Amino acid sequence: MSGPIHDTYTIFWREIKRYKKSRSGVLIRLIQPAIWIIVIGNTFAGTQPLIQSVGFDGQYIEFMAPGVIILTAIFTSIFGGVNTLWDRRYGFMNKALTSPISRASIALGKMSAISLIAALQASLILGIALAIGVSLPNPLMVLPIMGIVILFSLGFSGISVMVAATAKSQETFWGVINFLGMPLFMLSPALFPLELLPDWLATAAKFNPVTYTVLLVREMMTGTPEGGVSVLLSVVVVSVFVLVMVALASYVFTREVNKPF
Amino acid sequence: MYSIEARSLSKHFDGVKAVDDMSFTVDSGEIFGFLGPNGAGKSTMMMILTTLLKPTSGHALVSGYDVMLHPKKVRQKIGYVQQDTVVDEYLTGRENLILHARLSHIPKNQINSRIDDILGLIELEEKQNEPVVTYSGGMRKRLDIAGGLLHRPEVLFLDEPTVGLDIQTRKKIWEYIKKIHDEFGMSLFLSTHYMEEADKLCDRVAIINNGTIQAMDSPQKMKSEMGSDVITMSIDESPGEHLTNVEKIPQVTNINHTANKLVIFASNGADAMPKILEIFSHAGIKINSITMTQPTLDDVFISYTGREISDDRNDSGKPNRPKAKRSIL
Repeated sequence: MSGPIHDTYTIFWREIKRYKKSRSGVLIRLIQPAIWIIVIGNTFAGTQPLIQSVGFDGQYIEFMAPGVIILTAIFTSIFGGVNTLWDRRYGFMNKALTSPISRASIALGKMSAISLIAALQASLILGIALAIGVSLPNPLMVLPIMGIVILFSLGFSGISVMVAATAKSQETFWGVINFLGMPLFMLSPALFPLELLPDWLATAAKFNPVTYTVLLVREMMTGTPEGGVSVLLSVVVVSVFVLVMVALASYVFTREVNKPF
Repeated sequence: MYSIEARSLSKHFDGVKAVDDMSFTVDSGEIFGFLGPNGAGKSTMMMILTTLLKPTSGHALVSGYDVMLHPKKVRQKIGYVQQDTVVDEYLTGRENLILHARLSHIPKNQINSRIDDILGLIELEEKQNEPVVTYSGGMRKRLDIAGGLLHRPEVLFLDEPTVGLDIQTRKKIWEYIKKIHDEFGMSLFLSTHYMEEADKLCDRVAIINNGTIQAMDSPQKMKSEMGSDVITMSIDESPGEHLTNVEKIPQVTNINHTANKLVIFASNGADAMPKILEIFSHAGIKINSITMTQPTLDDVFISYTGREISDDRNDSGKPNRPKAKRSIL
């Protein structure tokens, strides 16, 4: 049994094993989004009239819960590639590179593991949201929501793996990742409706794949369309983003790991 | 067919010649050692042969495949155990080996039996289901080496297999290396800066310094080419003119006399010794102590490179590249 799918699964298996054994990290990484959803959700509860003015008739916390789910997915996945640097430093990468598996399989295995882990973290936030009173129109919506979160995280894990493969040091990695992560999150309707943003910001947000993911997940969670973007367009944008990122990450990873570290 | 065939290999980093025109061959089933100080170019050579680095010029065949033209074929034939022990600490020993087996495309139905076999060989059966974080340094190294063998490679590369281990553990690792070589009969290419390691394990040794091969032969031959046993005597008074009589003994090849120490090189020390003693007792010179030793690979190394191997000073001023770069992280 061999082939790229087997090889990708091998790396995926290793990453998931490592994640499972470092369970303390799960809780630590949940603290920040949990604070977001509980503290910011209540702090900004007073903005409800603003939200309602653009046609969203619900609590602010219902509005921002999808945003925090995506926040968790973004940061778990965009940080996730950092172990690529450790693998290169501590020799696992050389071990994998001198085995018969392809370089692209290593990148794809890492990305798929990161996106699953990100989705797991996001599902815990979804659980918190449901526990503090957010409700779904239909409990089965959990499945497509998680599907979108996994897909979206795959794209962001691509960014992470790409940056990690190119960066020679932790400092560079964290610098670039922080430079990318926060703006991409803030420049989306995750916490605030697009309609209330200044025009130029709203236009910029339209080029951000996070925007479409947030709109999609929020529509699935609340049942209310928003932002004047159809579900189909959102799905297409997110899918294209993910495909491009996965392809680009595989290419960049393959090119970079062939250079001496 | 040779297991490894290197022809005029060179690797330059920013103009520094880490490997400078090296050529050698390794026979099938042979244990071949690269012996040299840190920064001599051993690891760079290892990385070229394992397809991790492209040489600046020259060619290398491993198991009959060109490392530049058919790297994937080469990777199917080799095992590579790096200088730093590479194990996933939070996985169990067995899980580490499963990972290896999957990476090296061992058929699924053979994975468990191969792991059982190898665990027996390296005597880690009892600890196999414990996380590697609980293992000692020697156990980790054994596990790492086991991973490199699991797929029965035709050529196994061992980069400084015992660096950082205490002397008992080192000897134990040597035993395991010999054992696995007896069992599987693969070719072994190892790099080391321990004389004793090269001497104990290798069929042939290449002495490496500043990116070039200084000498290449079996350790026995290299030592016998030093031509002698070494007889060391401690005496209080100068032997004076009696030394000329010692020189006349046919087996004596060279004499080195310092304050109260006399070092005599002889082609056959056992025959020379009684004659030397006779001369000294005739002359009435008191001998405090006398020892006869074999020349060591150390002596060989110094005679070829003009320095001791443990000497990290770099004659060419060449940076110790991989170490220097790694420390940034």
